[in-house]
Amino acid sequence: MGGSDITAPIPAARLRLQRRLSRALFLLPIIFMLVFFALPLALTVVWSVFERTMFWMKPGFTLFAYENFFFSARLENFLSSMMHSSVSVVVSFVLGFPIAVFVRRRIPQVAQHRVILLFILPFMVSEIIRIFALRPVLQRTGLVNTVLLELGVISEPITAILYTPMGVIIGEVMSFLPFIVFAGFLAMEAVPKYIFEICDDLGAPRHRVFLDVILPLAAPGIFAGGVFIFVNGLGVALLPNILGGPGAVNAGLIATQAISALDFPLAMAVSAIMMATLLGLLYLGHRLFDLTRILSPIN
Amino acid sequence: MKQMEFNRRVLLQSATAMAAIGAAGGLNMGSAQAAGPLKLWTIGIAKVGAKDWSAMAGQAGIEIAYNAKSARADEAIQKMVVGDGSKLYDAMSDNGGGMEDALASQGAVVELDTSKIPNWKNILPIYNPGGAAAETIRHKGKVVAVPYISNADSLAYNYDKIGADIDSWEAMFDAQFKGRAAMQNDFGPTLTNTAIYLKESGKQDIDNPSNMNPSEVKGVCQFLIAQKKKGQFRTFWDGFGNGLNLLASEEVLVSSCWEPIQIVAAKKSKMDIRYGTMKEGHQTWNNAFMLTKGGQARGQSDAFYKLMNVYLSTWFGARTLATFGFGPQMQGVNEYVEANPKDFDAKTKALLAARLAGKADRYAVKGNSWQNVFPTHIRDYQDWWARVQAA
Repeated sequence: MGGSDITAPIPAARLRLQRRLSRALFLLPIIFMLVFFALPLALTVVWSVFERTMFWMKPGFTLFAYENFFFSARLENFLSSMMHSSVSVVVSFVLGFPIAVFVRRRIPQVAQHRVILLFILPFMVSEIIRIFALRPVLQRTGLVNTVLLELGVISEPITAILYTPMGVIIGEVMSFLPFIVFAGFLAMEAVPKYIFEICDDLGAPRHRVFLDVILPLAAPGIFAGGVFIFVNGLGVALLPNILGGPGAVNAGLIATQAISALDFPLAMAVSAIMMATLLGLLYLGHRLFDLTRILSPIN
Repeated sequence: MKQMEFNRRVLLQSATAMAAIGAAGGLNMGSAQAAGPLKLWTIGIAKVGAKDWSAMAGQAGIEIAYNAKSARADEAIQKMVVGDGSKLYDAMSDNGGGMEDALASQGAVVELDTSKIPNWKNILPIYNPGGAAAETIRHKGKVVAVPYISNADSLAYNYDKIGADIDSWEAMFDAQFKGRAAMQNDFGPTLTNTAIYLKESGKQDIDNPSNMNPSEVKGVCQFLIAQKKKGQFRTFWDGFGNGLNLLASEEVLVSSCWEPIQIVAAKKSKMDIRYGTMKEGHQTWNNAFMLTKGGQARGQSDAFYKLMNVYLSTWFGARTLATFGFGPQMQGVNEYVEANPKDFDAKTKALLAARLAGKADRYAVKGNSWQNVFPTHIRDYQDWWARVQAA
């Protein structure tokens, strides 16, 4: 049984190898970001200034695609989809964040993750099916109108909840609500439970606890959840397509329609503008809330 | 019982065809066999007779390797012109008028020898040189495509709710259907149909509704913007499911749509939803098959021609009319249906005759205009369509 001597010094060569491996490990996230984020983004920007040909595009430099975006009705469409997405973020926050707070504060710790897991379930159904499934609920002869008519609450079907901007907002909230619940819950995990106990002991009213304690501490998580919803609202073309009114579009649909017309530089420009919007939002959020705090429970 | 008989018959036909394939293979006659199955890139509704491609393959006496294709013209053109489509597929179908020219001009598809398609003699006269649809299958005067379905898209309406027939696009813009009308979320068919209406009703000077100049596009879109602002449209539909749902759920009472949407909506809702003949005209279109450059190089021409012979047979024409309501591309469909009472009962026969008559009526309208997927001023179409959407 000649076991190795654990007190023996580690050979210098092995130490050097270990250090190199450690450094390489730190490089992995950088490589990942370069390959899956920076490179595609750079290519998108480069292609957006290429010249359009009949079926594809050719290398060159022109800002025509951007001019075509900013000096046409597309900008108006983009801005209105930003407004709808902003409303969806607010509605999702109002509905979703209290769920996160409730789970964190009232559900026993051992069951919290299981309860949160329930919010994953809708994501296991295809997005297109989820969105399509809203129509039999919201349409003229749908569930909502039928029930309200039967109860005598309304005398005419409500038509404002489908094929309208409100229909799109309902779809966005139903589709993306779990984002704010997850992000809110993660943020709430960073808040030690004893803080709530102190607040209770001091007799702080609920709204003060929410406004002065919970919101500031959970702000990075709320912001991250909000960005998820906002960006998806801008990009998921299905939503305005299926639930929106005549000509309802968002940035995703603008890009899709540009591709349909074989206008690839325009589609790239729309994508680049969306990415710039996202990066701008993240920068702003980081300056305001320090987004690294979201990961503090892991730390 | 009828279904069982039909299945048995299809099975026997398939078995006979398979035996023929085996014999041909044994005698080393089929060059297609040497080259493997015909790699076909097309849409699911290009087949009839069975849920898979067995009936089509059996009729043609070839093997088919089906590859699903989306209904997007841009994707198909991109794959064939700048992608690897020619390497992957021996034959492909198009997505509407104008694609043949685009693909042939880039050398992605090849000229066809129609003498190798015996049923070519039955093709509708409109495809003969000088015919109304002659150019839709030709590039620089040479045949590059074989049509397999066509139609004149029109307006579907809920007769049960409206209580009267509709014969004019005027209904689409009539205030009595405010908020209960829908058009397609695609500048191609929507601008073309609106242009046909404006031109034929004398409201706007338009030379060619399928290929408008920038000022004509502007006029048509300004008209649509005014209608939209008045709240005329419930929505612009996109895709079969959306179009179907709008009609079947009574969200809209009038909709410019594809005929299969009207057929399925009527079945689903059990309401009398009809497909009218518009006196101003319709956007007419066809879908066609093409032999890729790669398919020709791989020795798949014979297999391609055998399959095209099936597409121009009354066997296919009667079934695509019965199943999807698409227009057959050959003459003699009524005679075929009459001669095969076991496959088509009296009710089906009457239905097919009515559909054919409806198509004939629509095709006869003077103001019809052939679909053009890539109009000359496509950028103006795009830009103005964005304004319609934003309005």
